[in-house]
Amino acid sequence: MNSIAIETSGLTKVYSSSFGKRKVEALTSLSLNVSTGMIFGLLGPNGAGKTTLIKLLLGITFPTSGRANILGEDITGYKMKYKIGYLPENHKYPSYLSGGEVMQFFGKLSGMDGTELNKKIDELLELVQLAKWKKTKVKNYSKGMMQRLGLAQALLNNPELIFLDEPTDGVDPIGRKEIRDILVELKNNGKTIFLNSHLLSEVELITDRVGILNKGILLREGDVKEMTQNKEEYKISIEGNSIDKLDDEILRKASFAKMNQDYYSFKVENTQELNKILDLLRTNGIVIKEMLQQKNSLEEIFISLIKEADKEKAQ
Amino acid sequence: MKNIWIMTWFTLREALARKVFIFFLTISAVVLVIMAVVLGLSDKASFTMNVSGGNMQFTNPINMIEMMIVSPLSGLCLLLAIFASASFVPIMLEKGNIDLLLSKPVSRDQLLWGKYFGGILVVLINIAFLVIGVWMIISIKFSYWDFSFLTIILVITFTFAVLYSIIVLLGVTSKGSTLGMMVAYFIYIILSPLLYLGKDKLLVFIQSDFIKSLIKGAYYVVPKTQELMGQITKDLASGKGIEDYQPILTSLAFLILTMGISISIFRKKDF
Repeated sequence: MNSIAIETSGLTKVYSSSFGKRKVEALTSLSLNVSTGMIFGLLGPNGAGKTTLIKLLLGITFPTSGRANILGEDITGYKMKYKIGYLPENHKYPSYLSGGEVMQFFGKLSGMDGTELNKKIDELLELVQLAKWKKTKVKNYSKGMMQRLGLAQALLNNPELIFLDEPTDGVDPIGRKEIRDILVELKNNGKTIFLNSHLLSEVELITDRVGILNKGILLREGDVKEMTQNKEEYKISIEGNSIDKLDDEILRKASFAKMNQDYYSFKVENTQELNKILDLLRTNGIVIKEMLQQKNSLEEIFISLIKEADKEKAQ
Repeated sequence: MKNIWIMTWFTLREALARKVFIFFLTISAVVLVIMAVVLGLSDKASFTMNVSGGNMQFTNPINMIEMMIVSPLSGLCLLLAIFASASFVPIMLEKGNIDLLLSKPVSRDQLLWGKYFGGILVVLINIAFLVIGVWMIISIKFSYWDFSFLTIILVITFTFAVLYSIIVLLGVTSKGSTLGMMVAYFIYIILSPLLYLGKDKLLVFIQSDFIKSLIKGAYYVVPKTQELMGQITKDLASGKGIEDYQPILTSLAFLILTMGISISIFRKKDF
């Protein structure tokens, strides 16, 4: 099995207007590797190029330049799609079909048939809690139900790689949690999930790696934990006396130190300096109740990166 | 092949969901019932004598009765079919719909052929229901079983297939149904009959050789729906067979070219 699920190199997409007068660069020389068995989140503001990237990978749109492989196969063919599931943003299903018939249609197009397909449909509709709506026409489905049907549809062919574009759009909080749980379970079963979402807090909860895209450019890509950890900043909670008298000494070891209501925050160069501060506190009889490594939320990182990029562009 | 069939089958489902085809089937069924009742009450000899005095050149008055019923209804069927099928391709190309289809292991060619054959299958079913119904009632009544009459099912369906290829092409390029529908109606109702008349009768009134060649050229390029639905259908219905294959062959060439262009554009189109 290929350990790289998605591999792009210099992938560029330029959209031209009908007469080629106006050109929009939706994606600029994107190089990205996504390993198998992980949840990868692609983040970016509206118009960042997130959907364009998925469309290029799935052959819905063609690249202007660059190349890409999915599960070791070039994206120009369509046979690799047997191993792929996709839930597009604002998907539409034929309104005259019932949920079960929609699943039949896409299942058949995915090369499935007969008992195997019927069994899988029942199993997936059960999973997304639509079993009792199987025979109801999709025109009567709510937005959340459509989204859950979309997810079931994307999982029909037992895909190795699943692309989800805003999967929790229109779904209530409980439904979102259920979808997140399904995605984590899929990952635990060895599936690779490529997730486009605006809901950063949600992405942070389930993704292993993220990429931040702005105006077609990949600003940053990395491990979510590493990205959100502010390595050198710590918060400690102490018992009893204030440590004001140690401020000067701590500041000699840390580049920054500040007492907030219950916490004492400081920033150090490395772990040796951190240990020196802890030793200093202990030798001065200060009892440490708790120590936390400061974390930035994905949202904070996202906003600061986008602002930085926009500022650079403006200059 | 399987994928084309799946697309064809679900296009048929889409057509049935639209009431136009059901409406036509209902009209056909009502006509067949009325016809069965009228013929059941009439005397064979007097009925054939009354209708055989018309100006249609049929060797057999029974074929003439059949054509008198089938002709207007098949014309209506084509008009309705153009209207109802014009949106098959544009709906498939809508955002959120095409994305899903293209994410499946199906080639773009298969998707388009499936939609094309689906539209044709719908018309084939409608026309076959009407023609076979008329043929059976007449054949039972007169104990005259002329199977050659049934071949008109293929000609009428072929006429639609040619017109539908234009709808598909304009659907793929414009992503809308209006243009395709308008052009198909224009060819079917105005251009083809006009060029058919023009190539023989109107040319005598035209002085310019250039315009004459232009009309003659256009005649060969534009699908010959006038002859297909007129002379050729009539000849087949009367059992004479096809005398001139040119309208069929040039229309077929038009169909192949139009579908070839449609597929070529669809293969490269971004969605």
